[in-house]
Amino acid sequence: MFAFSSPRPPLPEELAARIRPVSLAKSRTLPLGEPWNTLVPGGTIRRGSSVVVEAAPGWGGFSLALTLVSGASALGHWAAVVGVDDPGVVAMAELGVDLRRVLFVPRPRGAWAESAADLLDGVDLLILRPPARAAHGAARRLVDRVRDGGSVLVLLSEPRTPWPLPADLTLRVVRAQWSTSSRLDARYLTVRVDGRGAASNGGEHVVVVPNHQGRAAVR
Amino acid sequence: MERLLATWIEPLSLERSDGSTLRDTARLLDALSELCPFVEVVRLGLFVLPLRGPSRFFGGDDAVVRIVRHSVLDTVGAVAKIGVAEGLFCAELAAHAEVVVAPGATDVFRRAQPLDVLNHRELAATCRRLGLFTVGSFADLEPARVAERFSGRARTLHRVARGELFELEGQRDPTLGRRLSRLRGVDDLFEEPRSFFGQRGAGDDRADAAARRVRRRLGADGVVVARLCGGRGPEDRATLVPWGSPPGGAPGGAPWPGQLGAPSPMITLAHPVPLVLRDGENRPVVVGSRGSLSGAPATVIFSAPLRREVLWYAGPWPLVERWWSRHRRRAHVQLVLADGEALLVVAEAERWWLAGIYD
Repeated sequence: MFAFSSPRPPLPEELAARIRPVSLAKSRTLPLGEPWNTLVPGGTIRRGSSVVVEAAPGWGGFSLALTLVSGASALGHWAAVVGVDDPGVVAMAELGVDLRRVLFVPRPRGAWAESAADLLDGVDLLILRPPARAAHGAARRLVDRVRDGGSVLVLLSEPRTPWPLPADLTLRVVRAQWSTSSRLDARYLTVRVDGRGAASNGGEHVVVVPNHQGRAAVR
Repeated sequence: MERLLATWIEPLSLERSDGSTLRDTARLLDALSELCPFVEVVRLGLFVLPLRGPSRFFGGDDAVVRIVRHSVLDTVGAVAKIGVAEGLFCAELAAHAEVVVAPGATDVFRRAQPLDVLNHRELAATCRRLGLFTVGSFADLEPARVAERFSGRARTLHRVARGELFELEGQRDPTLGRRLSRLRGVDDLFEEPRSFFGQRGAGDDRADAAARRVRRRLGADGVVVARLCGGRGPEDRATLVPWGSPPGGAPGGAPWPGQLGAPSPMITLAHPVPLVLRDGENRPVVVGSRGSLSGAPATVIFSAPLRREVLWYAGPWPLVERWWSRHRRRAHVQLVLADGEALLVVAEAERWWLAGIYD
């Protein structure tokens, strides 16, 4: 059909043993989208990290996750969204995500961790909504895979059913408020930032999603 | 070459795991067979019928187009993209472009298409380097030159470009007929995967391979990609199609009148959930003929026990579709509930549906 493969010739063994991927310190990170590029120290996230976005249902968790990845997506990095049933792709485009490079796995059923692992070598950003009570073992194995690979894992969780492992960066929506006129205009999300290293106790920020340019911004 | 009417129905091109896509396809095939016994479903979402007979019978091409459009709308509730041209390859392109190509004009139509329509990225890239951007310019290459420069598949495509072959490899789903007969109680095989990405980059091959792995795990509709098309509500504009589907129409950046602006709901329900909207005196809220609400929504009831207070609402924004009859009149309303959740609901035929969630 439309599939055609052009297998690359294998590298000679003696050469393969002596080369490694180019990996400068800088390329080991991905840029965060607005406004996180100014709120999180360094404005980037190291590849291999896991990020938890925790929000009550309908409190903008998915939007917030997309604001994290929109910067890298706009630069041409591939992203995948796993476990989000009916993603609103128009809204994703509005938030600056390049839909030409997004793979969706809406219903991985029982194979959420396996499907996510399948995608890790293929995408730079992986947004995953795990089942409400993710098994600790499966979560651990996935996070280990992420750490060894070159992707960033963004997990969508709820306060009632938190992700069972500590994350490199955690964003918690503690307050969500709509601003309205004759229609819904934007939402003000109060986000508590925490994490490892420089991001620990990152404080609380009020961000507006989307702002008048369709992105997110600090209020 | 025979003139064909091709009908592209985006929602039917995405196979859902509950089997509804195949059932709808079978139903629509039955309905269209009444117009024309030679109607054929080429692959999911693409129906083709020879136009000559029906056109005479119904009084012209436009009449057939209109009747098919109505038939699709009535049978599966979807808006079809319809086009007419000679041969399957051009007929499908005409459907995506929604044009009726006049008899004898198919050659010109085909030659004007960009090379991407041949679905061969290497060929398109090579041709681009040679300064060839259209099917016509590729067709004008000497067959002998094509033979020495390109692969066997490209030689086949060259014949398609020259109008010597009328079908693109992969345009037809050879398993579909069997699956439809099996659905009707009659046998089966697994569908061969397709792969297509418009633009290739370094990371695309990796993503391609990853998608292939997931599909092997979850099945043909396990991995989907987004396609934006110009509908009225966000739920119409957003289509997810199985990864590897052939390219559809161009992404719709066109501003439609009546389109709701940003922010759009982060979740758009593929299968809208019915709900009841009541005003402060517990009367059902309906959209009047003038496009106003009978009362301010105060509660939204999903199923009997699940009742939520409405704090704020906006709308209605009426959506009157041009050729749709009155019962297809629709209106959107935005609601904010007591716990801060915001919903997009749609009234259709005096009933309310949950269309989206602003997560």
